Amino acid sequence: MSLNDPAAFLSLLVFLPALVALVLAVTPRWSDEATKFVSLGTTFVTFLLSLFLFRSDIGPEFEAGVAEMQAMFAVDWIPSFGVQYLMGLDGISFPLVILTSFLSVLAMAASWPIQKNVKAYCVLYLLLVTGMLGVFMALDFFLFYVFFEVMLLPMYFLIGVWGGPRREYAAIKFFLYTLLGSVLMLIAILMLYFNSDLTRLDAQQLADSGVFPVAAEQSADEAMAAWLESDSVLAADYAAGKEAGREVHTFNILALQQLGQDADFSGFDKEALFGKSIQWWAFVLLFIGFIIKVPSVPFHTWLPDAHVEAPTPISMILAGILLKLGGYGIIRICYPICPAAGFELANVVCGIGVVSMVYGAFAALAQKDFKRMVAYSSVSHMGYVVLGLGVWSANAGTEYNPDYWKMGVNGAMFQMIAHGISSAGMFFMVGVVYDRVHHRNLEEFGGLFGKMPLYTGMAIALFFAGLGLPGLCGFIGEVFVVLSVWKYSYVLAVISAFVVILTAGYILWAIQRVYLGAEYKGPHGDALTPMTMRETAIGAPLVALAIVFGVYPRAILDYMQPSVDRQVEQLAAWTEGYEDRLKTTRAIIDEDDQMASARPTVN
Amino acid sequence: MESTATNALDLLPLLLCGAWLTPLASFVAILFFGKHMGAHGKTAGLVATGAIGFSFLLSCIALFGVWLPEHPLSGGHGHGGEHSEEHHGEEHGDEHGDGSHAALGGSPYQLTALAGGGDGHGDHANNPAPPHINGEWYSLGEFGDLKLTIGYYIDSLTVLMFCMVTLIATCVHLYATGYMHDELHDFTDPEVTLDNGELLTRPGRYWRFFQYLSLFCFSMLGIVIAGNIAMVFVFWELVGICSYFLIGFYVERKSASTAANKAFIVNRVGDFGMLIGLMALWSSLGTFSFGDLKNAEGEVVEQGMFSQLRTEENDYKLVPTESMAVEQARLSSDSEGEEAAEGEAAEATEEDATEETDKSGQWLLFIAGVGIFCGCVGKSAQFPLHVWLPDAMEGPTPVSALVHSATMVAAGVYLVGRFFPVFSPEALLVIAYVGCITLFLAATIAITATDIKRVLAYSTVSQLGYMMLALGLGAWTAGIFHLITHAFFKGLLFMCSGSVIHAVHTNEMTEMGGLRKKMPITAYTMLVGCLAIIGAGIPLTKIGLSGYYSKDAIIEQAFSFFGENPGHSLLLVAPVIGAMITAFYMFRLWYMTFCGEPRDAHRYDHAHESPSSMTTPLLIMSFFAIAVGWPFLGLVDLLEQGRPIGTQATTQGVLLPSLVLPDEHLSHLEPIKTQAGLTAFTAAAAGLLLATVIYLWRALNPAEIKQTFTPLYRALWNKWWFDELYHVVFTLPTLALGKVIAAIDKNLIDGLIHASARGSRGVSKVVELVFDRTVIDGSVNAFARGTWDVGVWLKRIQTGSLRQYVMFIAVGTLFVYLAATVVWLS
Repeated sequence: MSLNDPAAFLSLLVFLPALVALVLAVTPRWSDEATKFVSLGTTFVTFLLSLFLFRSDIGPEFEAGVAEMQAMFAVDWIPSFGVQYLMGLDGISFPLVILTSFLSVLAMAASWPIQKNVKAYCVLYLLLVTGMLGVFMALDFFLFYVFFEVMLLPMYFLIGVWGGPRREYAAIKFFLYTLLGSVLMLIAILMLYFNSDLTRLDAQQLADSGVFPVAAEQSADEAMAAWLESDSVLAADYAAGKEAGREVHTFNILALQQLGQDADFSGFDKEALFGKSIQWWAFVLLFIGFIIKVPSVPFHTWLPDAHVEAPTPISMILAGILLKLGGYGIIRICYPICPAAGFELANVVCGIGVVSMVYGAFAALAQKDFKRMVAYSSVSHMGYVVLGLGVWSANAGTEYNPDYWKMGVNGAMFQMIAHGISSAGMFFMVGVVYDRVHHRNLEEFGGLFGKMPLYTGMAIALFFAGLGLPGLCGFIGEVFVVLSVWKYSYVLAVISAFVVILTAGYILWAIQRVYLGAEYKGPHGDALTPMTMRETAIGAPLVALAIVFGVYPRAILDYMQPSVDRQVEQLAAWTEGYEDRLKTTRAIIDEDDQMASARPTVN
Repeated sequence: MESTATNALDLLPLLLCGAWLTPLASFVAILFFGKHMGAHGKTAGLVATGAIGFSFLLSCIALFGVWLPEHPLSGGHGHGGEHSEEHHGEEHGDEHGDGSHAALGGSPYQLTALAGGGDGHGDHANNPAPPHINGEWYSLGEFGDLKLTIGYYIDSLTVLMFCMVTLIATCVHLYATGYMHDELHDFTDPEVTLDNGELLTRPGRYWRFFQYLSLFCFSMLGIVIAGNIAMVFVFWELVGICSYFLIGFYVERKSASTAANKAFIVNRVGDFGMLIGLMALWSSLGTFSFGDLKNAEGEVVEQGMFSQLRTEENDYKLVPTESMAVEQARLSSDSEGEEAAEGEAAEATEEDATEETDKSGQWLLFIAGVGIFCGCVGKSAQFPLHVWLPDAMEGPTPVSALVHSATMVAAGVYLVGRFFPVFSPEALLVIAYVGCITLFLAATIAITATDIKRVLAYSTVSQLGYMMLALGLGAWTAGIFHLITHAFFKGLLFMCSGSVIHAVHTNEMTEMGGLRKKMPITAYTMLVGCLAIIGAGIPLTKIGLSGYYSKDAIIEQAFSFFGENPGHSLLLVAPVIGAMITAFYMFRLWYMTFCGEPRDAHRYDHAHESPSSMTTPLLIMSFFAIAVGWPFLGLVDLLEQGRPIGTQATTQGVLLPSLVLPDEHLSHLEPIKTQAGLTAFTAAAAGLLLATVIYLWRALNPAEIKQTFTPLYRALWNKWWFDELYHVVFTLPTLALGKVIAAIDKNLIDGLIHASARGSRGVSKVVELVFDRTVIDGSVNAFARGTWDVGVWLKRIQTGSLRQYVMFIAVGTLFVYLAATVVWLS
C-alpha cells in the first residue's frame, strides 16, 4: 500500500497526530521542551502532508477546477450497519482541511507558554487535530459523528485544565452545549439512516457516493458488478435487499444527499411529528446542532466564556476551526440531504444569520474584556456565514437566478476561511499581550503602539481584516454575502449592510483603547516588551495570508468554487422541480402557505 | 488604420496603471525599509516624493502625449455664445479602439441649441458616450454571469483627475518634507501630557508619514481609474483607512485618535447607504462596470451600466431596464404582502401596466442613485454627515491639504460625476438639496470659527456643497470644473495655513495678526487663494482667477434651473448668500492672520517665513489657483469631452414630472450669464467689504456684533449642535443597546441555561432521594438481603458429612439426566 493510495495518504494525514499522541502517552516522561518540539514537528509534518495534496508527486493530487469528490476511498467498517470508513475531499472541505493543518502548526507554536502538565496537553492537542482533520474528510455520517465526538473531549479538557480562573464553568458549559448539539445530531442521523434506502440509487449514483471504487477506464456499471461479486458484506446486503425489495440503510453522506434530492424517493418525506416530515425534523435537529457550533444567537453563550477561559492556542483553534464545523455541517449535510426542509426554512436560517450579525456586533460594543470582545465579533462574523448559506433559495417562488445564490454560498465559504485567519490572528494578538501583562481589561491598556510597534502593526492589520477592510480577507466574504442577500430579501440585506457600521465601531474603539494613546494605563507596564521571534513567526503568516486572500481571493475560490457551484446548481434544479411538483400535487392553499413562509420575517 | 492610433491609446491604461501603482511600490518599500532609509528615515520622504512625482510625469504623458493628440480639443475656447459651428458627436459612438477617427469629428460635444440662438431646449439630440477606453485586469470572483473585477475606465475626466491628483500630491509631498522635519528627531508633543506631568517625547515618525501618504495616493488614484463601482467601493474604503491613519497620525493624542475614529465611522454610515445602492444595482443590472466590455473584434460582450440604462434607442435618455422593473415589482410585492402573490393581482397589474411602464424601475433607480450618493455624502462631508471633516484637522496640515480638501473629500464629488448617467432627475434633486443645505450650513459655521484650519475645513465642506449643488442641478461640467479649481486653491490655502502654523505653533487666529510682514510669500500666496475661492474676477469679462469661472458657472446654472423650476428658489438663494458668506469668512481669516497688530507678541517674534521646500509648492499652487481656469487653457473643453452619456439634453423628471433639469449649455446664454455674473460679483464684493469693514478698518467691533446676535452666535459657535445631537441620538443609544444586549446574554440566555442546569440538578436530587433510595437502592438491598438469606439457608446443607454429599451428587446427577432427557425428547 503506497502513499499514493488515497486511503493510505488521507489516513496518515488524519491519524498521524493521534499516533504521535499515543507514543507520547505511553513513553516515559520527556522534557517539556522536547514534548513541545515533537508536537510542533508532528503538526508541521501534517501540514506538509496536506500541502502535498496540491502536488501529484506524493499522495493524491487535489486538482483545482474539479467539482466532484477527489481522493475518495471506502473501506467497510461495520458492515452490518452499512458503516464505511469513507473519506474524500472536494472544494468545500479541502480549504478547511488546509486551514486546519495550517492553524494547528501556528497554535502549537503559540502553546509554548503552557507550563502545566505539558505532556497531557500535547497528547490532547494532537488528538484534537486528528478529530478536526477527520471530521472535514469523513463522508460517512457515522464516521463524521465519531470524529465530531473525538474533537469534543480533548477540547473539554484543554479548556477545563489549562484555562483561566473560571475554566471549569466554561468547560462544562462548552461541553454541555456541544453535547446537546451532538445528541440532536445523533437523533437526526438515526432518523435519516432508518429512512434511507441505498437500493434506490443506480450504479452511477453509488459510484459517485463512493460506495465502491471505480477504476480508471471502468464504467460505473462494471465497477458495480465487480463490487457485487466481491466478498464485501455491504455488497451482499445490497444485492439481497435489491432482490427482496427490502430497504438497505446507509450512513453514506453522499448517498443521503442523492436520496434527499431524488424527486421519486419519498423516504424522507414521511410524516414524523406534528405534521412535519422526517426531513423537516432532521433539518431542524441538525441545524440546531450545527449553529451551536457556529455559534449563532441564541445558542452562542458558551463561546465568550470558552474563549475567555481557554488558553490562547485553544482559542485560536476554537475560533479558527471548530466554529467552521458548524458552517461546514450546514452546507455539507443540512441543505443537500434535506432540501425541502431547507427551502421551507430558508427565512429562518437567514433570519438567524442576520440576528447573530447584529446581536454579536452590539454585544461586542459593550464588552470590557478584550478577548470577550473578539469572541463576540466571531459571533457577528459567523453570522455572515449562516446568512450566506441561507440565501441559497434566493428568489424563492419567483424567477430563478442561481448566480446570486452561488455568490452567497461562495461568500459564506470564503468568509469561513477568512474568519479562520483573522479571528485566529486576533485571538493570538490578545494572547500576546495577555502573556505580558496578565489582564485583558480594555480600559487598562493604551499606548502599545509606542512600546510594541511591530506587534501593533500586525494586530491592527488583523483587526482590520476582521473589520472587512478591502484588500484584506474579511472584505471579500462579507461583500459577496451582503451583495447576494438583496435578491433574497432586501430587508435582511439592509440590516446586514448596517452591520458594517457597528463592526467599524467596536473594532476601531478597541484599537483606540488598546494600541493608541499616550501611555499604558494598566499593571505590569515594564513587561511590555516587543514581540519575540516565535510570536512574529506566528503572526506574520496570518497577516500575509490575510493580505493574499484579500487581494487575490481566487487563490481560494479556484479550489472551492466548482464544488460549491455544483451543489448550488443541483439544488437549483431540485428547487425548480420541487416548485413544479408543489404546483401539481398540492392544492393552491398549500402553495400560498409556502409563499407566505418563504417570505422573510425579521425580528 | 489599427496601427498608430490604437497603439497610442493602448498605452493609456499602461501609463495610468504605472502612475497608479508607483505610490504602492513606494508604500511597500517604506513599510519594510522605511526605518532604515537614511537617518531617521529621511530618505523615505524622497522615495515617496519621487514616486508621486513619477506618477505625475506619467499622468502628464498620458494627458499631453496620448490623450490630447488623439482627442484634440475643439477650436472654441471657453464657453458662451461663441460656438457657432454645429458639432456632431455621432462619430463618438465607436470612440475607442479607433480613437483617431473620433478625434476627426472635431468637438466631442454639441452645442446645437446655442448655435440656434437658444431656440428652446429638449429638441436637440442627446450626446452618446464620451470617448473612453475600459477593460479589466483581473477578477475577484465570478458567479455565472456575475463578475466582480478590478479594471479601468479611462476618459478625459480620468486623465484630468490623474494629473490634478498627482500634481497636488507632488506639491504636498514636497511641502511635507519641510513641514514634517520635526519628526526627524525625537519629537516632544506639546499637546500630550503624561501622568507624571511631563510632555511626551517619542521617536520621530517621519518615514511613517510618507508611508501613509503613499498608500493614500495609491488608493485615491484607484478610485479615479476604477472601471466599476465595486472597485470604487474598494478604494473608497482604502482612502478611508488612509485618512484614518493620517488623521490619527499623532496616535498619542486622544483627540486625534477620536477624530480618526469619527471620520471612519461616519464614513461607514455613508458606505452603508452606498452598499444599499450597490445591492440595488447589482441585483437588477447584474453588473458594476461603467463601460461596455468588448472583445478583440470590438463586439460588445458585456454591457456596462451606462449603456444598459441609456440606450441609443432611447436617445441616451435614462430609462430603467426591464430587469429593474422586474426587480422593483419583486420588491414591492415583497413588502406589500399577500395580494401580490394572489391571482387577482395579475389583473390589476395589467390594468396599470400602461401607466406603470414609464415609472417601473424608476423607484429602484432612485434608491440606487440616492444610495450611491450616500457614500458621497459621507466621503465629501455633506450634510448630515459633515461632522467628521472639521475634526479631521487633527492630522498634520499636509494631510489636510491633500486628503481633506483637494483629493479624498473631492472623491465624493468625483463619484457623483462619474456616476452621473445613473442618477435620475429626482435623485439629482436630492443631491442638489443636500449640496445646498451643506454649503449654507458650513459657510455659517465658518464665520465664527477661530481655528485657522477649521475655518478652512468648513470652507471645504461648503465648497463641496457647491459642487454637489451644481451636479444636482444638472451642471456636470460646472461641478467638476469647480472640483478641479477648488482642489488647487484649497490645497494652496491649507498649505499656507500650515506655513503659518509652522511659524507660530498655534492654530488659533486670535493669537495671530500682522504676520504679513514676517512671512510675505505665505501671506500673498494665501491672498491669491482667498481671491480665487471667492471667485474674484472682472464681471462680464473673461478675466479672473480660477474660482471666478467655476463659481460663476454654478450660479449660472442655478439661475437657469430657477427659471425652469420657480418652486425651488432655495437652490438659487442659498448659493448666492453662500458666496457672500464665503467672501466674508475668507477675508476675515486673512485679515486676522496677516493684518493689523500682532495679538501675541511672543508668537509674532518667533515667526519666520517657512523654508523653500514649503514656499516653492505654495508658489506652484498659487500659479495654478490663478490660471487653471483660464479659458484658453481649455480645461472646460477637456471636461466637455468627458461629458457623460446622455447628459446633454434638457431632462424631465418621471416621478416628479414638473422637475426640469435644463441643459447646462443654456445657462451660458447671454441673459442668464449677465444676471448670474453680476449677482455673484455683488455677493462676493459685499462679503469682502463687510470683512474689510470689521476686521481691517475695524469700523465695527466683532465683540459687539457677537453680543447683539448672541443666540445666533452660540448656534454657530457650537456648529449648530450637530455633534451633541448625534451623540444623544445615535452614539448613546447604540452604546446603551450594546449594554442591553450584553445584559440579555448574561442574564436572560445564560440565566435560562443556569436555571435549567439548576433544574436538572434539582431533578437529579429528587431522583436520588425518591427513586434511587427507594426503588433502586431498595431493590438492590432487597436482592442483597435475598442472597444473604439464601446463603444462610443453604448454610444448613453444608454439614461436612461426606455421605450426605455423595447422596446430593447422585440425586443431582439423576435429576440433570432426567431433565436432559425430557428436554431431548420434547
